[in-house]
Amino acid sequence: MRRRWVFGGALALLACAGAGAVGWEQAGSGHPLTAPSSGTSADGYPGLPHTSVQISPGGCGAGWDRPQPGLQVFDLHNTGVAPEDAYVEDPATGRVLGEIEGLAGGAVRPMLVRLGAGSYAFQCLPQDTDAVTGPTVRVPGGAGGSGGAGSGSAGGGGPAVVPVTQQDLIPPTLAYQKWVGAQLPGLVSAVDVLRAAVGRGDSAAARAAWLPAHLDYERLGAAYGTFGDLDGSISGTTKGLPGGTSDPGFTGFHRLEFGLWHGESAASLGPVADRLAADVRTLQSRWAAARMNPKDLGLRAHEIVENTIQFELTGRTDYGSGSGLATAQANLQGTAEALDLLRPLLRTRMPELPQIDAALAATTREVAGLGGVPVSGLTLGQQEALNAAFGDLVTRLAPVAAVCDVRRTS
Amino acid sequence: MTGLGSGVDRRSVLRGALAVGAVGATATGAAADPAATATATATATATATVAPASTDASAGGGFPFHGVHQSGVLTPKQRCVSLVAFDVTAADRAGLSALMRTLTERLRFLTEGGVPEPLGITAPPSDSGVLGPVVPDDVLTVAVAAGSSLFDARFGLAALKPRRLRPMEAFADDDLDPAWCQGDLLLQVEAANADRVAHALRDVAAHTRGAMQVRWRIDGFSSPPRPAGTPRNLLGFRDGTANPDVSDARAMDQVVWVCAGQGEPAWATGGSYLAVRLIRMLVEFWDRVSLNEQERMFGRQKNSGAPLDGRSESDAPRYSADPAGDVIPMDSHMRLANPRTAGSDALRMLRRGFNYDRGTDGNGNLDMGLLFCSFQQDLDRQFVAVQKRLAGEPLVDYVTPFGGGYFFVLPGVRDATDWLGRGLLG
Repeated sequence: MRRRWVFGGALALLACAGAGAVGWEQAGSGHPLTAPSSGTSADGYPGLPHTSVQISPGGCGAGWDRPQPGLQVFDLHNTGVAPEDAYVEDPATGRVLGEIEGLAGGAVRPMLVRLGAGSYAFQCLPQDTDAVTGPTVRVPGGAGGSGGAGSGSAGGGGPAVVPVTQQDLIPPTLAYQKWVGAQLPGLVSAVDVLRAAVGRGDSAAARAAWLPAHLDYERLGAAYGTFGDLDGSISGTTKGLPGGTSDPGFTGFHRLEFGLWHGESAASLGPVADRLAADVRTLQSRWAAARMNPKDLGLRAHEIVENTIQFELTGRTDYGSGSGLATAQANLQGTAEALDLLRPLLRTRMPELPQIDAALAATTREVAGLGGVPVSGLTLGQQEALNAAFGDLVTRLAPVAAVCDVRRTS
Repeated sequence: MTGLGSGVDRRSVLRGALAVGAVGATATGAAADPAATATATATATATATVAPASTDASAGGGFPFHGVHQSGVLTPKQRCVSLVAFDVTAADRAGLSALMRTLTERLRFLTEGGVPEPLGITAPPSDSGVLGPVVPDDVLTVAVAAGSSLFDARFGLAALKPRRLRPMEAFADDDLDPAWCQGDLLLQVEAANADRVAHALRDVAAHTRGAMQVRWRIDGFSSPPRPAGTPRNLLGFRDGTANPDVSDARAMDQVVWVCAGQGEPAWATGGSYLAVRLIRMLVEFWDRVSLNEQERMFGRQKNSGAPLDGRSESDAPRYSADPAGDVIPMDSHMRLANPRTAGSDALRMLRRGFNYDRGTDGNGNLDMGLLFCSFQQDLDRQFVAVQKRLAGEPLVDYVTPFGGGYFFVLPGVRDATDWLGRGLLG
């Protein structure tokens, strides 16, 4: 399986009935829990002010008696039994400054925050129960206000943002599913053209048809996790296959690529092309019933480019066609699609969105300017410029995933 | 055991040296004359003063980030080093300035330590956490230097290029691989432990990905004294003996720092030329050479580091008593590099090399060697002149210089509002 994506959730391709009615799973199963702290004294911030705060439905925020500005640690103590999430937020705007996720009953964990002058409150979100907001606390101005340079928050506090909820993510995710659904017929017909060329033994035509079909698939990057096993079958590499390129488990686009660019007769590749054509049809027929995990879209917005850097810019996935840059361009198109759909959520949350757009545009230009050469044929200067563009882009995209993580607010 | 006190002493001594350097810089116009330099430094002690820091140079033992000069030149060699050459990919001069400001900000924080800013739910953590929740303030030095290519047409800096800066020429016995040579910028990152170096590099990379790209990188280490004296290289000989005294500010203004009145661009005052030579040592071949032959190649005794006519490392060789090289061969490394004749003090430079060990080559031979680094105020008068004197020395059969370059160490960052390269770009 090629599968590069860090896919936290269970296989979400469900062949259930009632395709129109979308039932959203609780996304929490995919959240990695941080290991509990061994204790407040061992949190590693001995020089900072510490405040013990109670996290529980009955006493949310209790213990915050001496508010002060600046960098500080709240030692959050879940005095209840059920696991809780906790935020420190601006109650007027709902902007969250700090978060602890999955605080186990009885556990204490530190939360490092920088507070500016202003009003704050704790919000306690017990599992399966409504959220409770603690008393609003006024933090006075003071010396601590000086260190928050570059923060997105007024008054010298750390950066804060309104959480994105599952409800927020449903429209863009549905829109993305719909967009993918609209792309699939093109993929199926492009693979049919490829399959036909392979079937009649025309290697030149098959090589020519391989790239557009492959790119049709590579544009769908944000959905791969939802494709499940089919993704490995359609676009897997030799990774994990004991037999390498001759392993029977090596199938799909890259198997065809290897054959077509290594002198295998097109005729001998017939079964591979047949299987690929069948796989993309299966994908298409199942897609209507698929449910993407709502957290996928934000994650993929940066993971697609991470994988481009890891697999395309290094030539790892090049089995002979030398089309890594074209794949990279297709990946950028997929990223742009995901980003566009998230835009309504990001516009109010990420002041740096214009810079992200600019970086995406610059990277697209950089790739386009290089033409269709194999990555291995680039000069050092070209490689450096390309890597810089992608490196800059992926650094700027990373916060999209952080901001678009699924969170509760109620 | 040197204890904490030694770290404090070293630091205050260095602070003194740096402070004096500022004053000296205005008064050393006359010292540009090599003869004057020679006289002034003739009595400089032969005792190596660039010793490796003891590993307990921690607990607030770091060097100040702000100063007339950058750290990493006169400061004691740390155990771990990473030499990383970058090419600037920023599109224009504004982009380069932004890069240098970012670099300065990050290095200031990394050097001084502190709590990485919490970014809450808006971004991934601002720090890798490799050093734990708080970045310590123990020793981290990062010297930033510019290569000649930074002064090409891209950024409009051609007229401001330090006079001697150029791509490193291939010397007679070099086998240079372009992939391991040059670079627009060079970072020499040092710390007592490898994780501190790795952490710094990760932080710098994360903040500069779009503006510069790694061209080459090699890691090295400085050995502890075995059993005492100057640390040994991987040929088993002490390396750095007879360095000038870094606590002698006047000597440093004559050997290391570019001073006003030397014909260099004004911004370059307080900087230094850095020659980097990546030198593979054919250590297995070397181990099959007799001790006598090894010692005659260096001109020193392997065990003690003493000249072949002396008893201890700090003894000066008496070439006048050995005019034909019967004891210390005329073509020995030491004698060629510094014949200790009138005027040869002008050749002196500050050598500050590290060893490297990077596994094996394609044939399974051990790939070890020397990251030669020397700092000087005049590349030609010092490093190049010495290198030319060494052409054809017997030692060349056992070493292969394969990379490196010439760089110019930027003047120091004066204060919280200053930034690396401000004099050049601001």
